[in-house]
Order: sequence, then C-alpha cells, then structure tokens
Amino acid sequence: MVQDGATGGPPPQALTRYRILDLSRIWAGPYCTKLLADMGAEVVKMESLRVYDSHRGPVAPARGVVSYPDAEPGDEPWNRNGWFNCLHMSKYGVTLELTQDAGRRVFEQLVSISDVLIENFRQGSLERLGYTYDGLRRFRPDLIYVSMPAFGNTGPWKEYLAYGIGQEQLSGMAHMTGYAGDGPMKSGINHGDPITGSHAAGVVLAALRQRRRTGQGRYIDVSQQESAVSLIGADVLAYQVTGQEPQRRGNRSPGFAPHNAYPCAGEDRWVTIAAATGEQWQSLANIIGGDGGGDGLADNPKFATVGDRLENQDELDGIIAAWTRGKEPYPISQELQKSGIPASPVLRGPDLLQDPHFAERGTFVEVDHPKVGPKWYPGIPWKMSVTPGRVRWPSPSLGEHNRQVYGQLLGMAEKDIAGLERDGVIGVKPTGSRII
Amino acid sequence: MTQKDQSTPGSLPGLLEGVRVLDLTHHISGPYCTRLLSTLGAEVIKVERPQTGDPIRGIGRIEPTTEVHGNDGGRRETEIPPYPPLQRGGLAQVAGGGDAVSPWFLYLNSSKKSLTLDLKSARGLEIVKKLAVKAQIVVENFAPGAMDSLGLGYSQLSQLNPALVMTSISNYGQTGPHRDWKALEINLYAAGGLMNITGEEDRPPLKEGAPLAQLGAGQNAFVATMAALMYAEETGQGQHIDLSIAEYATNILENALMQYSYSGVEYSRVGNRGYGRAAWGIYPCGDGHVGIISGPDTNWPEIAKFMEREELADPRFVSRQGRLENADEIDALMLPWLLDHDKVDIFKAGQDHGLGFAYVATMQDILEMEQLTARGYFVELDHPATGPLKYPGPPINLGSNTSPLMKGGSEGDSSGGQHHGWVYRPAPLLGEHTQQTLEELGYDDSEVRSLRDRGIV
Repeated sequence: MVQDGATGGPPPQALTRYRILDLSRIWAGPYCTKLLADMGAEVVKMESLRVYDSHRGPVAPARGVVSYPDAEPGDEPWNRNGWFNCLHMSKYGVTLELTQDAGRRVFEQLVSISDVLIENFRQGSLERLGYTYDGLRRFRPDLIYVSMPAFGNTGPWKEYLAYGIGQEQLSGMAHMTGYAGDGPMKSGINHGDPITGSHAAGVVLAALRQRRRTGQGRYIDVSQQESAVSLIGADVLAYQVTGQEPQRRGNRSPGFAPHNAYPCAGEDRWVTIAAATGEQWQSLANIIGGDGGGDGLADNPKFATVGDRLENQDELDGIIAAWTRGKEPYPISQELQKSGIPASPVLRGPDLLQDPHFAERGTFVEVDHPKVGPKWYPGIPWKMSVTPGRVRWPSPSLGEHNRQVYGQLLGMAEKDIAGLERDGVIGVKPTGSRII
Repeated sequence: MTQKDQSTPGSLPGLLEGVRVLDLTHHISGPYCTRLLSTLGAEVIKVERPQTGDPIRGIGRIEPTTEVHGNDGGRRETEIPPYPPLQRGGLAQVAGGGDAVSPWFLYLNSSKKSLTLDLKSARGLEIVKKLAVKAQIVVENFAPGAMDSLGLGYSQLSQLNPALVMTSISNYGQTGPHRDWKALEINLYAAGGLMNITGEEDRPPLKEGAPLAQLGAGQNAFVATMAALMYAEETGQGQHIDLSIAEYATNILENALMQYSYSGVEYSRVGNRGYGRAAWGIYPCGDGHVGIISGPDTNWPEIAKFMEREELADPRFVSRQGRLENADEIDALMLPWLLDHDKVDIFKAGQDHGLGFAYVATMQDILEMEQLTARGYFVELDHPATGPLKYPGPPINLGSNTSPLMKGGSEGDSSGGQHHGWVYRPAPLLGEHTQQTLEELGYDDSEVRSLRDRGIV
C-alpha cells in the first residue's frame, strides 16, 4: 500500500512487493515478520477481538505493571504495552473473527492476495477452523504457508506446547549455561523465540525466491525446538566424539584466561575482560601491574602461559577484580581497548540508551506511538546500503488498520465494513482476553 | 537415520540451488550465516588461509564457552592446553598439516567447498576477484576495514559486479566509536545488554554457555542477505549489509529493554525464576532438572492433580499475581514430588494436563529425544576424520510444494521429507576444492601447480 523509492521520497526498501498475512502471536512469529516488515514487506497482522496477541497484556491489568508507560495501563492497556509495541512496528493491524462466516469470507479474500501466511498457533488450530494448506491453496494456489508450533506438525509431541523458556531447556542451551559447579540456568530472555523467528524469516525469503522461479508455493513446517537445537550443533557433535557432556563454567572459558566479568565501582556494575592471546595477556598484565596491581604480574611465572593462567585462574581473577573494583566500567574498557584487549562494560537499560556507539549508529529508535507518546525501541538490526530498513509507523492499535486493509486493499464498501463492525466480526475493542 | 549425502545424483535440489556464495568468513558468526546458505543448496566457496585454514579447525575440542571470534584477524593463542583424549580414534589429522577438524568446524561448514588462498598475494587477490564476479553473494567477518585494505571492500567489488550482495558481520559494526573494539562472545553478550539480565541477583551477571550472540547474528545476517539477494535479482542492484553482533543482542532484549524505556524500571537478574512470575523456571528433579512453567494460566490448577498435592489448587495460586506473592510456598509444595520423579515423566505429566512444561536436555537427551528421532531431524554425515556422526538437521522443515505435510517425516525418510530442499555434505578438508575451483575459473594444471608451489593456494 505504501510505495517507497519514488522520486524525492525515502530510499527504496527490499521487500515492498511481498505481502505477509500474519496470524502469529507472542514473540517467535512476530519477530519473523518484524524482520520482514523492517525491510518493507507489507505485513498484515490479524488478531481476534476475543483472543488477541497476549503480548498486549490483559484487558484490565493491575496498575504498576512496568511494561506500560510510567507503569500506568490507561484506558486502552492493550494498545499501551511495550512488549507488544516493540515487535509490530511498520505492520498493519486488523481484527477478524474466524469463528463467524462473514469473517471467514474476509479471511479467504486476504489469503487470496497474500504471498505468505504465517501462524504459530498450537498445532492443528487452523485446521480445526477448517483451514488446511491444501484448502487454502484454493484461494491462493502459490501460497507459502508457514506453520510454527512448538514441536512441529508431526511426531508424538506435536500437540505439546512450549514457551521460549522451555525451548532453551529442550534445546540444550540451559544445560550448558550456569555458574561453575551449580545447576543449569535460564537466560534473561527467551532465546528460542527470536532464533526461530529469524530462521523462519530467512527461509520464507528463500521460498519466495524459489516461487518466483517455479511458480509454486510451499508448506513450511517449523519446529521451534528444532530451530533452537540448530544453534548447539557443535556440542551435539562434540558429545558424540568425546562422550563428555558440556560443562557449566560460569563466565570462564576452557581455552583462555582471564575471561570473566569483574566488579566495578557502584552497585551491580561490571566489566568483562578476556585475553585470548599471549599478546593480549601481556598488555593486560602490564596495565594492571603498572597501576600497582598484582605485584610483577607480567613476569609472574604463575601466569606465564595460558595453561598457567587457567590453572591459577582464581588467583588471577582476584587480582583483576581488585584492580577493577574502584573503577568505572566504561573507562576501563576504553583503556584496555587502546591496548587491543577485549573488554566491554556490562550494559544495563540506561547504559544501552545512552551508549555513544549505539547512539551514533541509531541502534535504538525513538518512535511516537499515539497511545503511548515518544519512547525508545530496538531499531532495525542491520544496515543495508541501498535499501535501508526503517520504522514506517508505530505498532498498530488493535484493529487500527481495519478500514485501510478491508477498504483499500480488499475494496470493501464502507457499509459492508460497518456491517462487520456491527456484527462483532471486526472492531477495535477487545471482547475478551485469554492471556497465556 | 537419513541418507548421508543429499547431493548425490537423483536427489532433490536445495532451495537455493544455483546461487554462488564467496565465503570469506571464519570462526562462528559468519560461518553460521553461510552454513544456512550452503545447506539450503547454495554453492558456498569458503576461502581459507593456506596451511592453517579457518582458525576454528585447529581447536580440537571446543567447549561451548570457548569463543574465538574476534578482531584479531585470525590469530589465536598458540598455547592452547591439550584437550581431553578423544574416543573412536578421535579427530585425526588427515591429509597433512592444517587439516585438523573440530566439532565447531565440522558443524559450521557442512556442505561448503574449501579453497585455500593467500589473500595478501597479488595472484590470490586476482583469484578472489574472479570469484566475486561469478558470485551473487560475498559474506565476510573480518575486522572492519580489513576488506578495504585488501582491496576487496564493497566499493571495489561492486565495480566488478554491481549486483553483488556483500554481507559484513562484525563485533560492533562498520561505523561508530567502538567499531575497532576487540571482542569475544562474553564482551558482546555484555555490551548487548543480555548478560546483565542473566544469572542470580546477588551474583555476577552470566553469559550463555553457547555463543548465542554470534550464532544469532549469523542467522540474522542470513535473513538480510536473502532480502538483498532478492532485491538484487529484481533490480540488478547489489548492496552492502553491515551487521553488528552486539546490535543483534540489543535487538532481542524485548521487554528487558521495553520496561525501562516505558516506565524507567530496570529489568534485573532473577536467576531461575521467571521475571515477574512464579513457578516459571528450572527446578531439580529425580534425574536432573525440569522446567516448571505455569502457563497457560487457566490450566495451572491441573498441577494439583498429577502432583497429588491438593494445596496446589489453592485459589490464592490461580492468578499469576497470586502465584508470585506465594512463590516460596508453591515451590515448597512442588519440590518433594519433583525430586521423586524423573524429568521426562514430569514433562509429559505437565504437557498431558495442558501445561507447557519442559526439561533441561543434555546432549545425550537430545540425541535420544523421541520427538526429534520421530521427525527424522538428525542427518548422518561421514567425515573422514570422525566417521559417521549425527548432525542436527534443518532448522526449518520445508515440506514440499505439493503436500500439506512432508511425506515420510514421521518415518525419518529423508527423500523429499524432513530434509526436502536442504543439502547436507560433510565439511570440506582444507583446500579440498582448490583444484576444482581453479579449473572452473580457467586455470590449467601448470598454473595451479605454480600457485601451489608459491604457497598462494
């Protein structure tokens, strides 16, 4: 609907000619379509008024929930949730009830004009509504259909459900993460979700490219679990060769020392430092030693080779921590980087938004959402020289683009759209909220 | 188990058949990007330094916490300690020096070709430029500026091939004040904001065991590369992609960033408890660890039935907020039952009652997981250095274009089933495809011999 690249307009975008009908929710599916929308794809996000994307949060949340602006849910909390609003920028938001015949007819029209349909319902959900891949191809013969339930569409676990936290466990990621000597640890986010979304986005593009050559669509069965296991493939191989399970080592490395997070001045401030080569170690030892830390560090035989440093790592980490403890993480990092030593601050929320490097690169973008006001969001995760991605508009309110999509795109008359509204087939106010 | 080589005559073509990729990557992030391209059927020609190759070949037993990506131009510690003795004959040296393989190398470089080339020699440059003319895609993860100083920067290569897509993956990106900062995974995980929110509240921030920032960045680079390839094919216009690993990390912070942005309240470390949730994390059990996940909300009271603790159905625990307020009480009620049961049984008990339970899978668990084997997920590849090993298969199941569900997926049949559209070959020996690649570029035997004698290939 929006064409870039006209004379004098903004630069072109890579994917403007592709339309994605997006029934996905939560994170994995929306991250997939976010990456495509970032590059100009026309993504139509379809939600139900009864069961909208649960990242929008409850209809009536408690006050003080911090994912709302100033912890104030406001009159339309479902339009004011940061979880949702960081994942749907530049997408069109529509509502539609597939349980009503009128809604199904509209859905079928949407399918007929879409290149890709993507859903991450529980396995078989769309089929229970009467829509199989073969059935949908009646409306769009070359449709690319992406179904991404937790464990894929076949196998004994196909109807099981999983959250990102569970995928980290079932993929082996959690098993190898944790403090040395302690149990497995979850990450602060859920890696399984964006990983699956990103894999799916790339494969969808490959399938679109192939469709351009063959004229044929394709059914794409995504197991979120298999996608996550793909990231630990080397460890699966190593286990078969050595018979040894990976060990949890905290922040340490089996091959290098030092390699850790060290405390800095202030509360919960940290800097990461690693020396991957003998040269880096010598530079680090000279800096710390020159600063009066670790008496004769550079010449201490206990730390001469990497084997020595690994063996005496507790003592070494103690010396480095004593040196970092009174200092700030940024200046330490800058000083060490000048000597070619890998070091970086452990960035927290405010640091990220104020970081000079990220600021210069536009890593985070300020977007003015009409129901929220101007706030900072993660931006486009890469730079393209000819077709730079950009945020075209904020995440849609529930049903915000109903008229645009159903009127302009499908060519429905205003009275018909009003009829759908009257019958509760479309709308902008939730009629229920099943939060999962 | 699946057939060993999908590329044998008569097998189905990969989705990206006909695409040629000049692969100037090493270590982890770049090779994962080009692995996705090669296993989808693109011809990926990996250029490696003569004699030594990709540094990750030389690290015999790479533990998941070993990150070797960095801006150090491929230099590596020469004093790496001995790795544990290997079973089954181990990772033997094959075909002379520099041909060591490691699990990381084997996994990340499946289905690629290896061409050795000295990029610092004039003849080496000439060869790589010829390849850039014949390729649609170049992927590299040298330190920013290195390609320019080799004479292989985007401005130089795009003159030779205007439709070329060049993807550069680096620690912090090609611009900005930290552009030249050196980094390993731990530094990138920290700079990207992910480390601060992982681990226990009163202990140091923690990195992931697997190098997920580098792998995730490589995976996102695959998405960007595919989009640029499509645009180039549609318009004839190539372009340069600049992807930063640290920025990948910031891009997946989701609510960890948003709640600070929206309300000024910082996200914190919560260990194994879900953020703002209870009964949402990793718990010990009889034979390991399980994921107790109290979602969907509506199904939570079911837990009382299979854990045989009526108290767990207490109305105080029905809402998320109620569970959060009574987290310790709930944990104490569950723990005896958990310790008395095994992980797979707990997982299934939860799932059978509609709860999204999980369990902490070991490598052994993954290889034996009934869901993965039923779907024919693993691919068996026979590399001369290791013998046959089971490799994780396609991250995405492509099915076919005629059938709603892949044929034979449940029987593990790979012919047009689970692995349809993907192509698996063992990772190449160092320089395995040098002769072939040079011949295809028109070099005759004596020229190739001369290049070899001079150490250029």
